[in-house]
Amino acid sequence: MAAAIRRIGLASGWLLVSLISVLPIIGVLVGLWPPEHITFADIESFLGYQGLSTSVFMTLFSAIFSTLLSLYIAFMVYSQYHLSRRLQSLEKYLAPLLSLPHLAIALGLVFLFSDGSVFFVDSGLPRKGLSTLILAIVIKEVPFFLLIFSAIGRQLPIKYWLLQGNALGYQDYRCWWLLVFPALLKQSRLALLAATAYTLSVVDVSLLVGPNIPELFAVSVYRWQTSFANGDQALAFLANALLLILLALSVCILYAHEKLAYAACQSLATQGSRFYIGIINPVFKAWLPMLGILTAMMVVVFALWSFGFNLHRVSFNSFNNFNSFNSFDGFTATQLSTRLWQDEWLFFALPLQNSLLIGLLAGMFGVALALLALELQRQKGKYWPDYYWLLAIILPQLSMVLGWQILHIWLQGGYHSGWVIVSHLPFTFAYAYLVLKGPFQSVEPRYELLATSFGYSSWQSWWQVRFRLLLPAIFTAFAIAFSVSIAQYIPTLMMGAGRVTTITTEAVAIASGSQQDLIALYVLLQSILPFMAFFLAAILARRFRGSMGRQRYEKE
Amino acid sequence: MLEIINCQVEAKTWHITLPDIHVGKGELQMITGPSGIGKSTLLHWLLGNIPQHVAISGQIMLSGTDITHLAIEQRRVGLLMQDVYLFPHLNVQDNICFALPKSSQLFLTKQQRLSNSQPRLSKKQRRLEALNMLEQINLAHLATRYPQNLSGGERSRVGLIRALANQPQVMLLDEPFAALDPSTRELMGSWAFQQLAEQNIPSVMVSHDIEDIPVSAKQLCLADHYYQKTR
Repeated sequence: MAAAIRRIGLASGWLLVSLISVLPIIGVLVGLWPPEHITFADIESFLGYQGLSTSVFMTLFSAIFSTLLSLYIAFMVYSQYHLSRRLQSLEKYLAPLLSLPHLAIALGLVFLFSDGSVFFVDSGLPRKGLSTLILAIVIKEVPFFLLIFSAIGRQLPIKYWLLQGNALGYQDYRCWWLLVFPALLKQSRLALLAATAYTLSVVDVSLLVGPNIPELFAVSVYRWQTSFANGDQALAFLANALLLILLALSVCILYAHEKLAYAACQSLATQGSRFYIGIINPVFKAWLPMLGILTAMMVVVFALWSFGFNLHRVSFNSFNNFNSFNSFDGFTATQLSTRLWQDEWLFFALPLQNSLLIGLLAGMFGVALALLALELQRQKGKYWPDYYWLLAIILPQLSMVLGWQILHIWLQGGYHSGWVIVSHLPFTFAYAYLVLKGPFQSVEPRYELLATSFGYSSWQSWWQVRFRLLLPAIFTAFAIAFSVSIAQYIPTLMMGAGRVTTITTEAVAIASGSQQDLIALYVLLQSILPFMAFFLAAILARRFRGSMGRQRYEKE
Repeated sequence: MLEIINCQVEAKTWHITLPDIHVGKGELQMITGPSGIGKSTLLHWLLGNIPQHVAISGQIMLSGTDITHLAIEQRRVGLLMQDVYLFPHLNVQDNICFALPKSSQLFLTKQQRLSNSQPRLSKKQRRLEALNMLEQINLAHLATRYPQNLSGGERSRVGLIRALANQPQVMLLDEPFAALDPSTRELMGSWAFQQLAEQNIPSVMVSHDIEDIPVSAKQLCLADHYYQKTR
């Protein structure tokens, strides 16, 4: 009887995690179903769409360029921290940097550095343009790659490779490029693909800081998908198919880049050149502290603006307006007030409550399902490839959400938070899986065996030993999953049909307008929620970090 | 010739004062002692990898030159550890190519380099040189294999050949055969010591296993020079 229950439990578990992990592919496949009879004229009209080629090229370029730039910057930063033996401080810096959503970074850049920004310094960064978008993506993705490198680096004997390389007459700098980079690059494939897929299909950031004419391709796809004008659904279908082709093309480009980089490293390694170039540019050592300061500045500016503080440029002219010598600029500052917060409270209370509820539930379920997937694989004795579990972050979000929306309409589901949580689950699950896999696999299985020998059931020993040892990682995974849920725009909007509002959907809607103080308020709220989650996770992780963790650090 | 002069290892609760050590060309100096006494720490100090948990003072002379404060990459010291850490993205031949000097003028001073017009080895020549080294030890058939596809013994051999390819002035061996099975370990040990002796390279090896010690080696037991600090 017990065996039968166990079998049913295992089968249900597999069914559940399989369903969550294949939801993205189901979404993509359903989204590719033609909505109406597609004619050659539709294809012609799509291909002839004004600015399509420029839009597609800009999208592909921004996705590949920002991803590779982030990769190389992250590699340089990681090497600096590794060499200076400050890896622990690297991880300390990462949490708050990872917590800030893409949207907040993009708008923060605009608030700080664009024309008419708080500093009144025209740094040349356009309010809407490809450079602003790429910069925002790079700022956000570098910490992501650092997190990935940090996880990969723990499993590689980097210290000994460097020692061997040094002993063979190579400088640290060259050892990093010739010996460590190929290994990190090979194991970062998924992260590269995830970052590229994100930029290819991101709508909110592209809409707010991306170029206007022509707009980025993801914005066009979204516009056609949500339009019911004559012929737009056909355009949406074709655009969706092209988005997938762009993803396939990106995979090819990334693969070619990997092969080229690998071949270059191999070739340089066999040539044996040992040039001495002195100390590497300290910019990379300062990157994270600088980013920390920038992030803090963004949050402070959002807070100040939301409290009504603003510097206004005013021209003081003398009586002769034609005489520029007598005209000069000055600044006035308005006083701080809570008026906006009081006025807006009624409007943001519900989105805030929705965000919290959806984030908490989607985050918790995501972490629980990731643990379930890992445990089921452990019991089977074989781990499935990561690609399978991380489909949600390596496929274009727009394509899969379109499919889910169609399924949702077929199923005649209502428009409530439940569906939004379900639509966030594949993403929270994927990120939680990514964070938990390493710590889960590194738990010594003999601890549980020992607990079982003391008379505990296998479930009890799992709960009291493995789960307890994993708690710090679980808190971090939850904080990341929660932030991922908070930042979701397209799934919330499309599955909630605009009826389930969150801080993010409101922030995007308001940011399309021109009321800077209101934008600052919503973006601040959107930034605070994940930050709080990371802060709490850090405190709890420290509280529950087992002696095992401390020993490891002491050993290092 | 390697000389270690006035060497002292200081920890919080103990210290080791070593007698001066002289290792001639082709000679092997064994450093033995129980686990945790600081054998590997001493070896890493010789390599130039300064340990953080203890303070080591002393002078390292290599062929009459003081190398105590030189960076690892400038010391010309070969290193063979328990895991030889062949680079996984390079095949056996390329691992050896990586270790081969750029040319015979690699370790000359800048002035010497400027005045010397000896041409650099091309990539093809380097590959050929690596293959020759493998042929000499009958391992040419492994040239295109990747480290993951080698047995433990093969990895150790390739590791030693890679270290020798760099023409080191001294070889440091940190329990290099500990992970091998007993029969391979014996064969590998005698082969490695023969190679080092033939190439006249002074070597220092640490081990806690007396079976690793060849008859001809000089021995130094760290436990004999270990002192507990009195409070």
